[in-house]
Amino acid sequence: MSTALTAAMIIGWTVVISVYGILVGLFLLGIDRKLAAHMQARIGPPLRQPFRDVRKLLIKESVIPANAIPWMFNLAPIMALASSLVILLYLPAGSVMPPLGSYGDLILVMYLLTVPALALVAGGFASGSPYATVGAQREMVTMIAYEFPLAIVVVAVAWRLGAAGLAEPFTLTTIASNPIWSVVGPLGILGILLLLFISAAITPAELSRIPFDTQEAETELAGGLLVEYSGRNLAMFYLSQGVKSLVMGALVVAIFFPWNISTFVAMPATVALPVDLLFFLAKVILVLFFSVTLVRVAMARFRISQVIPVYWTYLSVIGLVGLLLLMADTVIPLAGVGA
Amino acid sequence: MSPDTVLTAEQVPEYFRERFGAGVKETRVTERREGAKRNPNFNIWIDLDRELLKPAILALMELDYPHLAVISGTDLGEEIRMIYHFSIYYGKKHGEYTVSLAVHVPKTDLSIPTISDLIPGAVFTEREKQEFLGIRVVGIPDNRRLFLPEDFPEGVYPWRKDETGVPDSMVKDLYMSQRPTDRPAPPAGEKELCEIEPKAEPAPASSPEQPTEQKEVKE
Amino acid sequence: MSGNEGKKAPYVVPIGPTHPALKEPVMFTFKMEGESIKDVDFAPGQTHRGIEWMGMRRNPVQIVHLTDRICGICGVHHTLAFARAVEQIAEIEVPPRADYIRTILAEFERIQSHLLWAGVAAHELGFDSLLHLTWRVREQSMDVIENLTGNRVNYGIVQVGGVRRDIVPDQHKIIEDCLSTYEGLLGKLLDLFLHDRSITLRCRDRGVLSRQQALELCTVGPTARASGVNADLRQDYPYCAYGDLDITAVLPDQHMGETRGDVYDRIVVRLIEVGQSCGIVRQCLDQMPSGPITGEEKLAKLLAICKKARGEAIGRVEAPRGECFHYVRMNGKESPEGWKVKASSYSNLMSWIPMLRGEQIADIPIIVASIDPCLSCTDRVAVVKDNSRQIMTKEELHRLSVEKTRRLSS
Repeated sequence: MSTALTAAMIIGWTVVISVYGILVGLFLLGIDRKLAAHMQARIGPPLRQPFRDVRKLLIKESVIPANAIPWMFNLAPIMALASSLVILLYLPAGSVMPPLGSYGDLILVMYLLTVPALALVAGGFASGSPYATVGAQREMVTMIAYEFPLAIVVVAVAWRLGAAGLAEPFTLTTIASNPIWSVVGPLGILGILLLLFISAAITPAELSRIPFDTQEAETELAGGLLVEYSGRNLAMFYLSQGVKSLVMGALVVAIFFPWNISTFVAMPATVALPVDLLFFLAKVILVLFFSVTLVRVAMARFRISQVIPVYWTYLSVIGLVGLLLLMADTVIPLAGVGA
Repeated sequence: MSPDTVLTAEQVPEYFRERFGAGVKETRVTERREGAKRNPNFNIWIDLDRELLKPAILALMELDYPHLAVISGTDLGEEIRMIYHFSIYYGKKHGEYTVSLAVHVPKTDLSIPTISDLIPGAVFTEREKQEFLGIRVVGIPDNRRLFLPEDFPEGVYPWRKDETGVPDSMVKDLYMSQRPTDRPAPPAGEKELCEIEPKAEPAPASSPEQPTEQKEVKE
Repeated sequence: MSGNEGKKAPYVVPIGPTHPALKEPVMFTFKMEGESIKDVDFAPGQTHRGIEWMGMRRNPVQIVHLTDRICGICGVHHTLAFARAVEQIAEIEVPPRADYIRTILAEFERIQSHLLWAGVAAHELGFDSLLHLTWRVREQSMDVIENLTGNRVNYGIVQVGGVRRDIVPDQHKIIEDCLSTYEGLLGKLLDLFLHDRSITLRCRDRGVLSRQQALELCTVGPTARASGVNADLRQDYPYCAYGDLDITAVLPDQHMGETRGDVYDRIVVRLIEVGQSCGIVRQCLDQMPSGPITGEEKLAKLLAICKKARGEAIGRVEAPRGECFHYVRMNGKESPEGWKVKASSYSNLMSWIPMLRGEQIADIPIIVASIDPCLSCTDRVAVVKDNSRQIMTKEELHRLSVEKTRRLSS
C-alpha cells in the first residue's frame, strides 16, 4: 500500500468518523436527557434537542472576554473536539475494526483521553474569569483523581490477556476480538466485575457529569470552565461533550462487552455490518445509561475535596482488589483458558 | 436581680422606672387578645432619654438576652422617633413580650450611639437608619450604605418628610410611560391611557389614584 | 489539593448580583484562598422597590395589597402582620373565625414555602431529581391555596379586620386530601433528605452557626431554631388562632438527639415543620368557630375608622422564615405616619458571615440557601434615578416588556 493511498484512507476515515462521532454523540446526549427527564417525572426535551442546541449556538455571536487570551481561548474548543474525535479512530465500533488500530493501543487512548480535559483547562484559564479559573483547577484535580483507577483497569485487563498467552495484549484489536470474560475463571470474573464497576464510576468524571461535575457546577461556578464561552466555541465544546460520551461508552464496550451478533449468527457481510453497528450503539446506550444517567439523577454533587478520596481510596482499593483477583486467577489453574 | 425571675408584663416598666427614675418619660403596656380563647399577648412601650438608651439595653439584658427585631424610625417633623424593638422571654409558652425602647432624636443633632457593641446583629438595621433617615450612628463598625444603590444622591433620605426627603423629580410615574413611537405598531390595539394628573405634592391624604388603576401595565 | 497554586494573596470571587446559585439578587464578595473562603462580604439592595415609601402615601386598605406583594412566598404573613398592627391601633375586633382562616392560610403558606425551599436546597447540591420531586408535590398545596383564595401567589385574602373569603364545608375535603397526601409523603421526604449519603456528606457540619452567634446576630425562625434557639412566635406570643392550639417549637435535638446548627439541622427543622403545619391546619379545621369572617365588611367604613385612628402598634407573626415584624404609626390621617417592615430574612442575612467563613466554594450555594433568604422581602426602599452611567430606566424597560408581551400575545 503506497503512502499516498494510506494517507487518503486515513483522511477518508477521519471524515467518516467525525460525522459519525458528532451525530451519534449528540444523539446520545439527547437520549441521556430524555431518560433523565423520565426518571425525574418530567417529559423532557425531544431527542433532537441537542441538534437544535448546536444549531442555535452556531448562529450566535461568539464573545471573547476582554481579559482573555484570544488565541488560546479560541484554540481550546477546537482542540477539545479534535482530540475527542481522534480517539474514535482507535476504537472499534461493532465489527468495524479501528482504522488506526495498528498505530496505537489502549495506552495511547488513555493519554488521548486527557487531551480534551486539558483543552478545557487551557480554555478555562484563558478566559480570565475567576469562575473559570476555579473550574480549571478543579478539572485538573479531578483528572489526577480518576487517572489512577483508569490506569488500573487498563493494565489489569491487558495483563490478564497477556497472561493468557495473547500477543500484543494492549492493542484494542486484540482486546476486542478476545472477550476478557472468556479467558478467565470464576475468580477472574469477580475481578472483572469490580473493574467494570470502576469504569462505570470513572465515566461521569470523564464527562463532567453529576456527581463529579465540580468543574462546571452550575450552582457554584455558573458553568465553571465554560462560563465565558458562547456561540461557536461553546458549540464545539458541546459537540466534544457528545463525542466524549461516545468515546467512553465505546471504550467500556470494547474492553468489557466486545461481542458482536455476527459472530453468533451467520449473515452476509453487508447485513452484518449495520446490524453489528446498531448492536454496538445499543451497548453504548446501556453503558451510558447505567454509568451516567442513572447516577446523575440519584445523587447530589460532591465537593471537590470529596472527589479525591472517592477515587484514590475507595475506587483504587476496589480496582486493586480486582487486579489481585485477576492475578490469583492465573495462579490457580482453572478451565476456561481459551482464545 | 437573679436571671431566673420572670417579670410579668406590668413589672417590666416598673423595673425600668426604678432603674432610671425620671429618665423614663412614659410607659405603656398594650395587650391584644386574639383567637377563640382570647389568650393575651403583651407589648411594652418605654420612652427614654437618648442618653439612657444603652444603659436601658444593658438593664434589659439582665432580664433575658433580648432579641432585637429592628430599629424603626419615624420623622415627626422636629425630631425623629427611633424605636428599638426588642423581645424577651422567648422560649416560654405564651410568655414573650415585645419591649420597644423609644428615643427622640432632634433634627438639630441627629446622632445616636451604636448598640452593635452590645448586640452585634444591630449593625444591619443601623446602617439602614443611616441611609434612610440621615441619622449618624456614632461608633458604627461598618459605615457603608446598605440598600440604596451607589448612584443614589447624597443627602436624600427617603423616609424623611422634610426637604431632605425624596423630591418629586425622582419619583417615576410608571403608568405614564407610553410606547415608543419609532417602532412597528403592535398587533394588539393600543389601550386608552388613564389620564392622571401628576400631583404637585405627594400629599398622602385624599390621594385619588388607586394602585389598582394601573390597568396599563396588565398583560 | 488545589489549595496551593503558589498564590500568596487571596483572590476575589464575586458571586452575584445574579448567579445560578441565587434565586434572588444579592451581591457577595468572597476573598478566597484556593477553594476555601477567607472572608466574605455581601451587599443587599438589588431588589429595592420602595414599598415603605409607597405605603406612607397610601391608606391601610390599599396597603394590604401592597404588603401581599412584598414577597411572593410569604406575602400573607406580611399582610397579616400589617393588618394586625392596624387593627390594634384602630381597635378593630377580629372575629374568631377570621383568626382561624388566617391561621390556616398562614400554615399552608408555610407548607408550600418549606417545600419550595427543600427543592431549591436540593438543586443547590446538584440533586435535581429531588428538586423535581419536591416541586411536584408542592403543587398540591398551591392548588389548595388557589381553591381557598383564588390565587396561587399574592392571595389578597387578608384585609384589615378579617379575611375576605370564607372556607366553606365543601372545601374541607380538598384540604383534608392535601394534608393526608403530605403526611404520607413526609416520611419519604425525610428519608430522601436525611438519609441520603450524598446529602449528608454535603450538609453535615457545613455552615455552622452556634447558639451564641444566632442570639447575637438576632437570627429568627428555622435558622435560629436549628442553632438551638427556642424561639417560635406561634409558641411564645399568641396571635390569631395559635394561642388556642398547643404548639411547641421544632428544635433539631428533638429529632436528631443533638443540635449542631449546621445546614443539615436547618433541613431537619424545615421538613419537620411541614408535618407540624399539617397538624395545625387539621386542628384549625376541627375547632373552627362559626360566625362572621370580618370585623367590618364595608371598605368605606373601614377606611373611615382607620382615618380616625391614632397611635402606634406592632404586628408580629411567624412567617416561614421567622419573625415578620411590622411597626405602624397612625396619626389620624389617611396614610400611616410611620411604617417599618422587618421581613424575616432581614434578621437572618447577618448570619451568613460566620456561616460562610472557612468553608469551600462548593458550599456557598447551599449555605446561602440554608437560611432561605428572601431578598425581595428584605430590600424594599429605593427610588431609582439614572445618571450618566447608561442605566436603562424603568420606563424604558417597562416599555420594552409591554411590547414584547404584546408581540407574544398576538
